[in-house]
Amino acid sequence: MIKRIILLSLGFVLLCTPVFAQGMIKVGSINDLTGATSDVGKDMALGIRECVAYINEHGGINGKKLQLLLYDYGYRVPEAITIYKRFRDYDKIAMLSQWGTGDTEALSPTINKDQMVALSDSFSGHLCDPKKTPYNFVYGTDYSTNARAALTVWYEEVWKKSDKWKQARESGQKPKLVCFYMFASPYASAPIKAIKDQAAILGMEVGPDQDVSLVALDAKSQVLGAKKDNPAVIWHGNTTMSVATAVKDAYGLKLEADHIVNNWGFDQNLVRMTGKAGEGVIGAAACAFYGMDVPMMKEVVEYTKKINPNVPQEKRDIRTVQAWVKFGMIRDALAIADKKEAITAKPAGPRIKAAFETFKDWQPFGTKGALGRPPVTFTDTDHRPSAEAMLYTIKDGKIVLLQKIDMKAKFPDKWASWLGW
Amino acid sequence: MSSYLPCGTYHESYRDEQKWWRTPFIKGKMGLMVILALSLPLLVRLDWVGGEWLSVAYTMNYYILAALGVQLLIGYCGQITLGHAAFVAVGAYCSTYMVLFIPWPAFMVDYGLAYPLSIVCAGILAGLWSVLFGLPSARVKGFYLIMTTMAAQWITVPLVITQYVSQIGGRGVALSIPPGTIKVGPWVIDPSNDEGIYLFSLVLVALCLLAMGNIARSKLGRAWVAIRDNDIAAETMGVNIVSYKLLAFFVAGFFAGIAGAFYISALSFVSPEHYEWFYSLLWVGIILIGGVGSIQGLVFGSAFVVLVFKLLEMGVLGLSSGLMDSYPELGWVTTKIIFFKESAFGLAIIFFLIYEPNGLAYRYWQLKNYFNLWPFSYTGKGA
Repeated sequence: MIKRIILLSLGFVLLCTPVFAQGMIKVGSINDLTGATSDVGKDMALGIRECVAYINEHGGINGKKLQLLLYDYGYRVPEAITIYKRFRDYDKIAMLSQWGTGDTEALSPTINKDQMVALSDSFSGHLCDPKKTPYNFVYGTDYSTNARAALTVWYEEVWKKSDKWKQARESGQKPKLVCFYMFASPYASAPIKAIKDQAAILGMEVGPDQDVSLVALDAKSQVLGAKKDNPAVIWHGNTTMSVATAVKDAYGLKLEADHIVNNWGFDQNLVRMTGKAGEGVIGAAACAFYGMDVPMMKEVVEYTKKINPNVPQEKRDIRTVQAWVKFGMIRDALAIADKKEAITAKPAGPRIKAAFETFKDWQPFGTKGALGRPPVTFTDTDHRPSAEAMLYTIKDGKIVLLQKIDMKAKFPDKWASWLGW
Repeated sequence: MSSYLPCGTYHESYRDEQKWWRTPFIKGKMGLMVILALSLPLLVRLDWVGGEWLSVAYTMNYYILAALGVQLLIGYCGQITLGHAAFVAVGAYCSTYMVLFIPWPAFMVDYGLAYPLSIVCAGILAGLWSVLFGLPSARVKGFYLIMTTMAAQWITVPLVITQYVSQIGGRGVALSIPPGTIKVGPWVIDPSNDEGIYLFSLVLVALCLLAMGNIARSKLGRAWVAIRDNDIAAETMGVNIVSYKLLAFFVAGFFAGIAGAFYISALSFVSPEHYEWFYSLLWVGIILIGGVGSIQGLVFGSAFVVLVFKLLEMGVLGLSSGLMDSYPELGWVTTKIIFFKESAFGLAIIFFLIYEPNGLAYRYWQLKNYFNLWPFSYTGKGA
């Protein structure tokens, strides 16, 4: 028995010992597989592994293997901090892939001091101003731009044109916006200031916000609270499960308002969970949805079957595609930085940051229109990836593209001042 | 009379028996602990230990500070609490707002006095807030008291802090603390300075454990233990149970406030998300694992929880780097193991409740007693 325990312990220690392989570039990834945002986090983690396998089988980073260290932090900031420090000190990662707004913003001062580039799944506008957060990057159009874009498109395409609002419109009524989100969540609350500012720009009224938990299974009281204010549109800032609950309750309680949703709350699961209630919901998206007919989607689908054959195809979602956009971006930035001088030579952080800042109209895997991601441009003064927002809607139980809107072109005088919102 | 080993030490008065330093052995043991604790930054500087262990160590210290109040309430006073994260949150927000928004005189900022003062105020405010939710303890106990302390969590974090307190300053719910703002004397304590955070946490833990140890052996501590053991008997003996219970809630809240105020230095960022109900449960779990009614148990429990999570992290990441490079299609193995991490804590509590209800502190006590008599321990097997 004692021998067995010793052998098992030795085996565990060996497994825990890092492999110091030559020609490898390590990327640490902090993900949520068990916490409040795991409803969208699990699919993302699957996609990351598949994309890394694809990268390594297709030349890696200038011939070097990309080594992925992926770990769950359960959406708990203290755990994210200790994991990052392990990645930094023990694994000596080249760069960091992050998840939530809370942990990304909490770690921001540390990574900036460490000169460690972090690419986050949080598209918080607060992370896009290089004066404040020079080493933070995001790969999707930021939440604030998405929220402004969704509200603008709704105002112009729905409020001004649809028969549903004809009577209200002609009676001179101003449309009212109400925001549904978890107040305590830095992710959900990040674009609130921006969307309310946009409502003012469009001449809309704003009703009181409704606090809906990220893990809400019931939002009837919030819907009834909002009903008193008679809103024309509701903006949802939570993730899919919570948004689905609110949309269904709004439908059940006959709240007439339309719904616009932030990108982490809008996916194929929302269509499945809301059914009829979800018809007409408008949502932002960072890229094309899983299975859509866009370049590189074939490879994404192929690798889902190859690496994770046990996960049914119908359970796949846009998060898998997002993972490919994210790690495609990491691949290209590391390749540029490594070409100048090997990544393993210290310090690599400033070179990787400079590599990101050379991105001009970047598209995943060097393919035009790949994965439906609008082109990304970073500069050393602006880390907003794009002014273009992709807005989709649910029509007859399917997600279809509603409009692509360029907020910089539409509001040229305001675009610069929105940096860091 | 004193000896190097406690065996053979006889106390002639209660004062002797209650002394902190009863034998030179205890002095030596505590000295060794201080040296070991202080040597961690040195080992990191020498590159013998990875720098991430400093953050592991100060997270452990944070849990010790946060769970200290839980230990006092449950372990010493018999008042069950399941809403302690609320008081930690009160401390964190109080300290953050004091540091950021009070127009401190220049000398307070220059000499790094603002943050230490805010910690004391955070403790007092959290203590008073805790008393508010301790008031029902005058009338209810057991399951009913659990419900009222849970109410503290729901009223404080999602309602008061999220809806009102965190809206101050205009940023919304999450508040960043600019680098260099948190100073203790001439030292800047922020996430860029792990060594500073660790040493600062050591000082706070030492002070709070010393305070708790002293309170526990005072009249106050004896009254709490009397209430815990049998409140009716305690009242019969003249203990004013309402006052002492409320005092217990105040002191527990005070320690929680200090924990919250300390941890903002490690995060430089405060958000209601950091004080979810999970933490209230975690801190109760820590004292169940470590040992209810024991200060040592609190330290053991915190170390156990932090190290179990760390060990699982090492295992999963070890698998990632060792196995995944050659067999990427086995990624699901590491993903599945991650789910074990969440259940590990629950399993540990069940394991301890079944097999060691007295916690790790009891095991330590057994070990200590064994070595007190070593090598001539009494085996009970006869001559």
